[in-house]
Amino acid sequence: MLVIKNLKASVDGKDILKGLNISIKPGELHAIMGPNGSGKSTLANVLSGKVGYKISGELKYEGKNLQEIPIDERAQKGIFLAFQYPTEIPGVNTSNFLRTSLNKVRKAQGKQELDALSFIRIIKEKSNELGMDEKMLSRQLNVGFSGGEKKKNEILQMKILEPNLIILDETDSGLDIDALKIVAEGVNSSRTDKKSFLVITHYQRLLNFINPDFVHILSDGKIVKSGSMKLAEDLEKTGYKGIK
Amino acid sequence: MLNFKINSNEIDNIGNFNAKEKEFRLKNLDSFNKNGFPNKKSEDWKFSDLREIVSKNFKKLDLKLVKTKVQKINFIKEFDHNYIIVTNGELTSSNFKFEEKNKIKVQSYSNNSFTNKQEENPLINLNHALSDKGYFLEIKENYKFKKVLVIYNLYTSNLNENILNCKNKIKIGKNSELHILEYAINHSKKNFFNNIYENVILEESAIYKNISIYNEKSFGYFHKYSSNKLDKKSSSTFFIFPSGLKFNKLDLEFDLNGENSECNLQAASYLNYDDHQEIKTRINHFAPNCKSFQKVKNVLNSESKGVYQGKIFVKDNAQKTDAYQLSKAILLNDSSEFNSKPELEIYADDVKCSHGSSSGNIEEDSIFYLMSRGLSRQESIKLLINGFLSEITDEIKSNSIKNFIVNKLEDQLHEHKKH
Repeated sequence: MLVIKNLKASVDGKDILKGLNISIKPGELHAIMGPNGSGKSTLANVLSGKVGYKISGELKYEGKNLQEIPIDERAQKGIFLAFQYPTEIPGVNTSNFLRTSLNKVRKAQGKQELDALSFIRIIKEKSNELGMDEKMLSRQLNVGFSGGEKKKNEILQMKILEPNLIILDETDSGLDIDALKIVAEGVNSSRTDKKSFLVITHYQRLLNFINPDFVHILSDGKIVKSGSMKLAEDLEKTGYKGIK
Repeated sequence: MLNFKINSNEIDNIGNFNAKEKEFRLKNLDSFNKNGFPNKKSEDWKFSDLREIVSKNFKKLDLKLVKTKVQKINFIKEFDHNYIIVTNGELTSSNFKFEEKNKIKVQSYSNNSFTNKQEENPLINLNHALSDKGYFLEIKENYKFKKVLVIYNLYTSNLNENILNCKNKIKIGKNSELHILEYAINHSKKNFFNNIYENVILEESAIYKNISIYNEKSFGYFHKYSSNKLDKKSSSTFFIFPSGLKFNKLDLEFDLNGENSECNLQAASYLNYDDHQEIKTRINHFAPNCKSFQKVKNVLNSESKGVYQGKIFVKDNAQKTDAYQLSKAILLNDSSEFNSKPELEIYADDVKCSHGSSSGNIEEDSIFYLMSRGLSRQESIKLLINGFLSEITDEIKSNSIKNFIVNKLEDQLHEHKKH
């Protein structure tokens, strides 16, 4: 699904990723943990195509060079990034936006676009699963949403767009325990043998609920250690300093 | 440079006037001829050098316009409405089928107030000297319109470097209510200039709502001065969607003369190519406990230029004034320009006045967010522009009219090409 070899990324001449390797197969859920400033968000941004980074190394998604695929086409080809800080978009109705987005993706994938009624059915079902207030969907996109509402809205988009590769960038940060469980459940119920996940996080607590297949420690722009869930548990005891 | 001096016999060509009117017209013609079109040396015109704009775009300005046959127009089908049709500024027909006829008076306008007030604006002089068309609409006391009144402003295909001078007057009687949609339909293909002078009088507790929009783009160069006088407890609400012309200057003045009167003015524009648009307002708080609210939003593309000059004046006795003013602009292009000049002049001590102004580019983070959900860059920008302007349209209460306006604005944005 995703192969990253010797990925280096710098912004404004500052090296952030310094030779990162990771390979994710269909159906796998990988977690990347790391301290502040280790390059976690840069990795997420590079994968989603954010401009401003100087990149070298190999980035392959389903065998194709990811760097040659524009941002919007990445989404259309099934890559989804749940943002750490979802952007507030004034004046844009959440529900209308979700439908526009879904139909863009469906159209690109050769599927039929959904009419308003079928869409409402889907969005109602999915937002109920996440315990979201339906009124939120008629509000302006992310405007005035609480931290938890924003993150749930990201997971809602993930569920609606049905991507193949899902990158969660610190989706757990700022969530209370109930919201964390709902988000984790949203991830768990989306897992299939075809979908892959890359979960970026500071803490072990989200991982307790979603059971990753692999855990990697990112430090100073490189994966310094890889292992199973046990690695995350050890990390919780020793801290990042104890790993090195 | 176009030397636009007007011979005094042009006044005789318009009609036969009594001595008093003739003198009024001659005096104003003199003033105009002395000053010519205003240029940027004049404070009120420093962002809109009309002399240069006219010189650049007109070889002549023809006062004569042959009347055309009655033209068919496509009436709005989306909602029931009364209408009047104004062709090149001239009242050509009216229909008030939803209303009680004896409550309404509509006729071609003839001026009968010949003040000695020395006008500073040469365009007003020009209008006073040469106005020969327009309408007078009067709503008697205690009458609320059942349906909206659409004013179809039609501009015909024979317009070619003409200048129109129109005078309109609207008077709304005590406790009466009128909603107007000013809807411009353009058949013209050449440059023309339209110079409008408007007088709006709201008697006690009268309510006036006005929405204006252009159905299609034209090569019109418009100047409109509007004087609005509000008696106590009256209220006027304006939603202005002024884009669609090559040049448009709206000079709007509101006199809050009576206690507890209020005015609310909101504008949303999308300017493209070398469109030039200025909204200039002056809100005069002359009485206590009055409210004024202004919100002006501009999106500027290509080489377009937008201006907002907003002044709030609060007289010493106008205590408990509540005045608000906000201007926001998005510049899509380095060659576009937006100038804003907010002004407060306050002589009362117990007032609430606030103003704000901002302009900038569309945030790249917002574009990135939308693109990461599968929208192209172009679609993302369009959605963000729509969102920016929808803050104004969302305030329109009638759903059918709101949808009508939103669709028209969409059409204007549709021409938004890659930049």
